[in-house]
Amino acid sequence: MNNRWSFLILLAVLSPVIGIFFGAADLPPKELYQCVVGQCSTQINSLIFWEIRLPRVLVGFLVGAGLAVAGATLQNITRNGLADPYLFGVVSGAGLGASIATLLFDSQIGETLTIFGMLPDVSFSIALPVAAFLGAVFAVTLVQALAATSFGGRGEHMLLAGVAVSFMLSALSHFLLFLGDPFAANKVIFWLMGSLARTELWYAWIMLPVVMGSVLLLLLFGRRLDALLLGDENAKTLGINVTAIRLMALAICAALTACIVAYCGGIGFVGLMIPHIVRRWVGVTSRALILGCVLIGGSFMVLVDIIARSALSDQEIPIGIITSAIGSVFFLLAIRQRQT
Amino acid sequence: MPESASLQAKQLSYEIAQKHILSDINLSLERGKVLGVLGPNGAGKTSLLKMLSGQTASKQQVEWCGKALEDFSPLERAKQIAVVNQLNESVFALSLQQIVRMGWLPHKTLLSRENEQDHAHLAASIAKVGLSDKTHQTFSSLSGGEQQRGLIARALVQKAALIVLDEPVNHLDIYYQHQVLKLLRTLAHQQQMTVVMSLHDINLAASYCDHLCLLNEGKMIAQGPVEKVLEAKTLEHVFNIPCRIRRDDLTQNLRVDFYPPDEQEHPFMPEVMQYPTTTDSDQGHSS
Repeated sequence: MNNRWSFLILLAVLSPVIGIFFGAADLPPKELYQCVVGQCSTQINSLIFWEIRLPRVLVGFLVGAGLAVAGATLQNITRNGLADPYLFGVVSGAGLGASIATLLFDSQIGETLTIFGMLPDVSFSIALPVAAFLGAVFAVTLVQALAATSFGGRGEHMLLAGVAVSFMLSALSHFLLFLGDPFAANKVIFWLMGSLARTELWYAWIMLPVVMGSVLLLLLFGRRLDALLLGDENAKTLGINVTAIRLMALAICAALTACIVAYCGGIGFVGLMIPHIVRRWVGVTSRALILGCVLIGGSFMVLVDIIARSALSDQEIPIGIITSAIGSVFFLLAIRQRQT
Repeated sequence: MPESASLQAKQLSYEIAQKHILSDINLSLERGKVLGVLGPNGAGKTSLLKMLSGQTASKQQVEWCGKALEDFSPLERAKQIAVVNQLNESVFALSLQQIVRMGWLPHKTLLSRENEQDHAHLAASIAKVGLSDKTHQTFSSLSGGEQQRGLIARALVQKAALIVLDEPVNHLDIYYQHQVLKLLRTLAHQQQMTVVMSLHDINLAASYCDHLCLLNEGKMIAQGPVEKVLEAKTLEHVFNIPCRIRRDDLTQNLRVDFYPPDEQEHPFMPEVMQYPTTTDSDQGHSS
């Protein structure tokens, strides 16, 4: 087991290093080293390293880690291996919140409303993640309420409710985007596919505390989260406040998903796929699972981003296309495995 | 009610949607005793167990060691009372050890670490139920009897003084039924644990329980030592089926023999049973 953890840590260290080497411009290792120590030979190289490659690798790692941790948490608290932020409607909810923030704070409609004093004076960079978080919380609440009232509360039914809510909120957010800008196709594609192309370093400074805080909280409550794997009745007999733990975990999933979706769009299937891989490697208990998801999820996203950047010579593939392609096959295999 | 009773229920009542599930149940049990809860389907056995273990609120009607269950916090209660339910919701492949170590939960704060003593206690608990060689095996791959013993090991790790089990030998074959019940009786008599369990098999209850209580339609029909509760007339009334009570020659335990209603005229004469005879038409088909 120690060998496996050593490999995962090595992978998590090496993948960002490899990620920094890849890109449209040719930066030799020596030049990269000089940039790390603050002695880039040209201004352009400095810009490429500090403004493009480093932010992309850091944000990519945080996005992968965050989505994987959110997926693992959702799967454990619902005892459903097919749960993930995308299929649970959390991504769409965060997308809707972000779309509303875009409409109100970053469009002509928003400007008009601001002039008439109908909107608070909040910068778009703050309104965006907050709105995404509120959207994610809204989606989680809606799915839970629907699953409990109309779908009988069973795991599979919660998933069906999640898929329905996901489509509903996606449709609404795309409509809002077109309302704000008739030529919003690019924005819609961004929300649908997700992208790390427009990443800036300050994204990482917003994501880092959210991801780290969430991971620490989940590790702290790891043993109590494990008890939920035994079923609610059994967990209660062990003195666990099941409702409070589940609500806390759902809020963490909403926060993680929101801060990722707000800046990088909806990147699908990472939250579904990575926890399954991690369980096979390091086990099913929450603490091992969460740590494994941070290491493998982060590394996976950085490596997929390398493919997204370098698979086609003249353009970049939105990262969500690749994760969805891999994830959809994985999803089918997971369903097949459940049936056998 | 004896003063030494650890578990006491006073005028316990429970209703759902104005339907009485339990009415006016009084019960007491001393520490280190095994209580079997008997009764037909729908008698209120599970509801009674849930109230005795604090899973269902009981408004000061149940006391454990002189303190109302309502006054225990969920964690305090979990330190005192372990509940063994069937585990059929385990989706991910938890090992036996991972499930047993969850018994630590009531005793650990968020930051406390597991020490050598904890690990020794964990290993000893698994050994006590005879599953040391299956410690790292996936829980779902264990047999029903092994799973049940694993959950009892979790109760031992939980260091609970009262174990409540809802039909612990359901779906187990005869060997494991006796093994699990023997283990529970040993724990009660040797470690002063109090055991309360519901059972369908009255003869198993007679063999392994110190006290019995008989429920019917939410009411307590009889309670006390096995000899007092197992009366043919009472059992016939509750289960609506004729029976005879005798003492087993070998074990000296009481045994109850029930007879199907349509055979009550000749309960001990299987030779009078009518077997289907071969008819001419059947012979025609077979040729």
